[in-house]
Amino acid sequence: MDGKPLTSPASFIDQMVVPGDVVLDLSSMANQTIKLGGGLRQDSDAISVMKAGKLKFSRPNKYWVESSQKRYVPCVEDTVLGVVVDSKADNFLVDIKGPALAFLPVLAFEGGTRRNIPKFEVGSLLYVRVVKASAGMNPELSCTDASGKAAEFGILKDGYMFETSTGVSRMLLSSPTCPVLEALGKKLSFEIAVGLNGRVWVNAGSTSMIILVANAIMSSESLSGTKQKIMVENLLRRFQ
Amino acid sequence: MEIDRPDGRTQNQLRPLACSRNILNRAHGSARWSQGDTIVLAAVYGPKAGTKKNENPEKASIEVIWKPKTGQVGKAEKEYELILRRTLQSICVLTINPNTTTSVTLQVVNDDGSLLPCAINAACAALVDAGIPLKHLAVAICCSLTGSGSVVLDPSKLEEQKMEAFMYLVFPNSVHSVLPEGSLHVDGEPMEHGIITSVTHGVMSVDDYLHCLERGHAASARISDFLRRSLQSQALGNPSKAA
Repeated sequence: MDGKPLTSPASFIDQMVVPGDVVLDLSSMANQTIKLGGGLRQDSDAISVMKAGKLKFSRPNKYWVESSQKRYVPCVEDTVLGVVVDSKADNFLVDIKGPALAFLPVLAFEGGTRRNIPKFEVGSLLYVRVVKASAGMNPELSCTDASGKAAEFGILKDGYMFETSTGVSRMLLSSPTCPVLEALGKKLSFEIAVGLNGRVWVNAGSTSMIILVANAIMSSESLSGTKQKIMVENLLRRFQ
Repeated sequence: MEIDRPDGRTQNQLRPLACSRNILNRAHGSARWSQGDTIVLAAVYGPKAGTKKNENPEKASIEVIWKPKTGQVGKAEKEYELILRRTLQSICVLTINPNTTTSVTLQVVNDDGSLLPCAINAACAALVDAGIPLKHLAVAICCSLTGSGSVVLDPSKLEEQKMEAFMYLVFPNSVHSVLPEGSLHVDGEPMEHGIITSVTHGVMSVDDYLHCLERGHAASARISDFLRRSLQSQALGNPSKAA
């Protein structure tokens, strides 16, 4: 039994749902242990939708609503791009596009001690991980992975950062590689950092190449896979 | 009791609806809702950190800013803001982002009657666009009562002036559900029979009010279907229209 009830709710999966729709009825399910992701809430036995989007289901028991927003709501283990707004004695204050500024403790770096506190100027762009995100508190960030290694986290120098929607970031991070990145990657070499909060940073050899990559990503939101490839090819032809 | 309407509609006929979302670049969510020549543009910003004084910091708060087409904000506009705020508060899930404020700005583009219902529909579409957690959607409709006691839906400005009384009604949308009864029930009644907001102007009898309620509810189902279709199609980013 894979948690999918025998009644009709399968009809909601991969369908567009709007707030208020009741997508699951726990009382009629054999396996009542399910995991709810963003956009769903439980109201006694009924699971109802809070956001408009596509209802997704992943085996064995995960349900969520996939939607795209310009605003980000912090979630633990998300990797995001943050901009340093202020630095205090114990924390850097970082804007991650959420409702509140996030704290980045000055010791949350690989081998971080009181002696070697990094210096970030206001406005620096950081690639960080969200470690705490509970309601009513400022989210907490870290520049290390779970094992305390720097991994790829840290400051992003040079390059260009632009803001898109959370939907675009998720598309860019999806596997297999999304068509727009695949098509760009065949012809150009560039560095990219994608934050789940809808911020994307691009760096490449020349400014015109950075602009091309940024434009391609920004215009790919509403396009299907093949259209993205055609769009990238058109951009590249004009570039060369 | 058939009456002639200046634009040749039947009593129960609504003006053409149109809704487009995500049209403002800087707002976190935006929508333009039109009913005939009444057009309202709604923009949602937030959730932003902190709540105002006198607000419960354990819940999210909603602020509404009404921008009239011309002139300054007067008492009528303040009343609209209050009605809108109460209506939106009741459809939002306020416990998810405590101590935050979401601001909704409504710009009247053109007023040709039924302005407040149009604004409520616009605000609701904009909240969905911004991804603010909602319990359900709200659909608003204006019903008016002629001197002879017949009910006219969605009046234009010209008709509004001739009416004896009119009322703004806000209902929950009709939801799709997997529950065997087809919908959620509250105290033995289907949820979409509930009233979120009811504002009346002028004099009417109780029977007339109940009659209006019934007709308004029937019409709200059509708006609700339109809203659902427009929200579902606009994942693709194209505006939708209905005749």
